[in-house]
Amino acid sequence: MSETMTIDDYLAQGGVLTNPSNAPPRYRGELLRLMATFVDSELAGSAGFAEVINDAPSLKARIAASRIVLEKTDHAERVLDLMGTFGADTARYAVHHPWAARLARDAEIGAARHGADRRLSVFHYPLQGWIDAVVMNVLMGRAVGIQLQEFSRLSYAPLAEVFREIAPREARHAELGEEGLARIVATEGGREAAQRSVDFWRPRVAASFGREDSPRFDTLRRFGLRRRTNHEQVTAWMAEMAARLPAFGLA
Amino acid sequence: MARFYPLDVADVRRETRDAVVLTLKPRDGDAEVFAFTQGQYLTFRRAFDGVELRRSYSICAGRDEGALRVGIKRVEGGAFSTWANQELKPGDVLEAMPPMGAFHTPIEPEAAKHYLGFAGGSGITPLLSILKTVLAREPRSRFTLVYANRQIASIMFREELDDLKNTYLGRLAIVHVLESETQDIDLFTGRIDAAKCAALFRLWVDVASVDTAFICGPEPMMLSIAASLREHGLSEAQIKFELFASGQPGRATARAASSSVSASDAQCAVTVTLDGATRTFRMPKQGESLLDAALANSMDAPYACKAGVCSTCRAKVLEGEAEMITNHALEDYEVRQGYVLTCQCYPTTDTLVVSYDQ
Repeated sequence: MSETMTIDDYLAQGGVLTNPSNAPPRYRGELLRLMATFVDSELAGSAGFAEVINDAPSLKARIAASRIVLEKTDHAERVLDLMGTFGADTARYAVHHPWAARLARDAEIGAARHGADRRLSVFHYPLQGWIDAVVMNVLMGRAVGIQLQEFSRLSYAPLAEVFREIAPREARHAELGEEGLARIVATEGGREAAQRSVDFWRPRVAASFGREDSPRFDTLRRFGLRRRTNHEQVTAWMAEMAARLPAFGLA
Repeated sequence: MARFYPLDVADVRRETRDAVVLTLKPRDGDAEVFAFTQGQYLTFRRAFDGVELRRSYSICAGRDEGALRVGIKRVEGGAFSTWANQELKPGDVLEAMPPMGAFHTPIEPEAAKHYLGFAGGSGITPLLSILKTVLAREPRSRFTLVYANRQIASIMFREELDDLKNTYLGRLAIVHVLESETQDIDLFTGRIDAAKCAALFRLWVDVASVDTAFICGPEPMMLSIAASLREHGLSEAQIKFELFASGQPGRATARAASSSVSASDAQCAVTVTLDGATRTFRMPKQGESLLDAALANSMDAPYACKAGVCSTCRAKVLEGEAEMITNHALEDYEVRQGYVLTCQCYPTTDTLVVSYDQ
């Protein structure tokens, strides 16, 4: 077969790359950035959640929370291993950042990055007890679902495969959150506390989808690393929340 | 972190006019590191005219053969593949990273699956490894291989495939599609494009019975086959890709001016401050990042991703200038203030003063 085409054309037509040496430098940079954001968010998310395991109101809830912490760490490791094939020092990376560190609850950070790691901005806010953690997990869980749907089709095959494997487990985390939320809203006091947390987390989770006018999007789409815009994704998430929350007596 | 290990070249066998098969032996103690899964590849490195090239080649051996072999087809203008085809000989040593890649599905000895493989040219190498392994380890599974080549003389592993067909009678079907040689059946002549796929799937391969499809070949072929398989109902998860070496830049390109400058011009005297201690050392302006040079000079410089992403290795340039190859971490204002990612940083002046402490 003498027929060839440039990698850029190949990617623009939906082609798939399969190992680090296929990846042109710019693609490699964007891909590593995407992977680092996922790894850092999973590690920061599970580190934050680890602290509320002790607030769990029952053994079942404690097991569910522990499982979420365990599996999110495992998901981070799978993607970090792929970063290792690009030369990242995985052992060092995993312990380098203070994953449990948080800013103040009222910090104004919007969608901006903060500090040296690349976690999504929403993971800079501290959780305040069990109810708050469950609500955050429900809202963020569905956002992760939408992100993983997108990532499961991206053009770096080994990464798309990892995302396809972990998507059902992340979806289960959101379901566990909803099971916990159903118990919380069974009392009016619980429902009111949950509503306060929804009001706090909803705009912050929405911001984690990124800016509407992200200048990077066109590049990412050309590379086959993104399909739906930030705006399309956040709209899908808001619709999903609007459909789900009323079932819990929440708005 | 992945690192390079020496592999002794035990045998170099000429497979076709422009392809060789290398048999490689890990050193004592490294055998475990090079235990591979069918369909994986090795990444080699070698310096050409002072510039390091890294190239990945798929393993063509099955898991039960007790040998590590890769096939390397010469690419026009390709420095590594030309060298491997013309100069490499038994007794030489190659440097390679451990096997990598996810171009495989888990082996299930009890399964009765139908695998469909597409190979274009040297894209046969990982498919050969896969089909040998699954036919040996899944006695109830079968494999259909569609193998595209320019002409009969350029078919890699032609005899081995014939032998395998006889060994696994009824379980291995091979369709040779030849671009520039007319065969008895029109279907088997030409290129594998959308029309060819449609005809193959109508007349020769029952896609509905396929559990997993493996595709390895040049870009246009991968695109048309994948599109056709999706049209015939296969999901993303059922289609596995390996893009072969044509996607890699072939020629070793030395950076401009590297040969015309004298040895002393090519060096930079670097002063690095870290944790309050300052050290000065010399490093080449090219080929080694500032971070790697600091690490090589026993400084415990901070880093994590080494890819210009995480900003752990950030430092400030106080004197001199340096070029940053990639920056996905620093904001514009930080760059204006002189901050650099040392893992992506190469000095351009004869002296450079940087501090990790600011």
